Amino acid sequence: MLFSQAHKRDVVNTATAIRVARVNGFVVLPGPARVALLRLGKVRGTGTLLAWDDVQGFGPDAVTVATDAVIRPARDALEQRAEDGDLEILGKRVLTERGTELGAVTDVDFDPETGAVTTLITKTETLAGERLIGLGGYAVVVSG
Amino acid sequence: MSTPTPALLLRASELIGRPVVTLGGELVAEIKDIVFERTGGRIAGFTLRNPGLFSRSRKDSLPWDGVHGVGRDAVMVSDETVLLATAQLAPRKQARKSDVLEDRVLTDNGRELGRVVDVVLHGGTSLEVVGYEVEASEALGTAGRRVLIPLPDTVAVSGENLIVPAAATEFVSEDLAGFGAAVDAFRARLREGTG
Repeated sequence: MLFSQAHKRDVVNTATAIRVARVNGFVVLPGPARVALLRLGKVRGTGTLLAWDDVQGFGPDAVTVATDAVIRPARDALEQRAEDGDLEILGKRVLTERGTELGAVTDVDFDPETGAVTTLITKTETLAGERLIGLGGYAVVVSG
Repeated sequence: MSTPTPALLLRASELIGRPVVTLGGELVAEIKDIVFERTGGRIAGFTLRNPGLFSRSRKDSLPWDGVHGVGRDAVMVSDETVLLATAQLAPRKQARKSDVLEDRVLTDNGRELGRVVDVVLHGGTSLEVVGYEVEASEALGTAGRRVLIPLPDTVAVSGENLIVPAAATEFVSEDLAGFGAAVDAFRARLREGTG
């Protein structure tokens, strides 16, 4: 599933059947490349993060959670940067470990069952997710 | 599919202003200047501009062996811990004195080929000085023009003169395209000569 397809998807509490948020973005971490957190909008509380491990199901029509309590604020500096959007992968430049730019990330393909990132897509390149080495405020770094 | 990265030759001066980025994707500084070793004509490292963009680091230089990769768009380092204070890299005075720029390039049989105007590096996941760009003297038949002269693996440098084998004149290029092959051919010739 592509990030572009999953963007704006409703997050629904399966205990109350109420829509509690919607997906605004994805926080990708390397080693191995995976969706670690979802960034949410239209939340009721102050927190906007949802850890992948707290997702009940990432379905074609909705993301489900067992309780609202799993939607939470950042717990550390890394999560704070993620919540602030500093680590957003979409639109970020891709650099190889040899210092060559491969364009900006336009979309990401991931496995909705596991959260594993399978492919990074730029305007000119399709990069295997396993090539992801790092993701910071400045760049996405890939091997090779 | 990604395309394979070709061997990358670049002039050291092109690195000035280039971002220094960690493998974690953080911008830590920009290359400010190149610091040459006291002997050998090789590069000791780089001084940095705006070090610690995202930290409180006061370390403002990058030693040569701290470089992970060098490409057209960035100088890559494993992380910020490879950075040093400039005084640890080389005393300022020493660094300036041992700069190879403006040095006279002499062949081992005593012909002056010109003065060094830039250093040619081979980038990728290692970084090596493979040649010098010189403003050519009469000896090269292209006087006044800038040409690229390949270097052997080791070279004698005094701070005024830089000695290259006479055979280097047969492998001179006018641009970086093709210079990599010239360096390889030149070094192969030297190995044959000594082997």
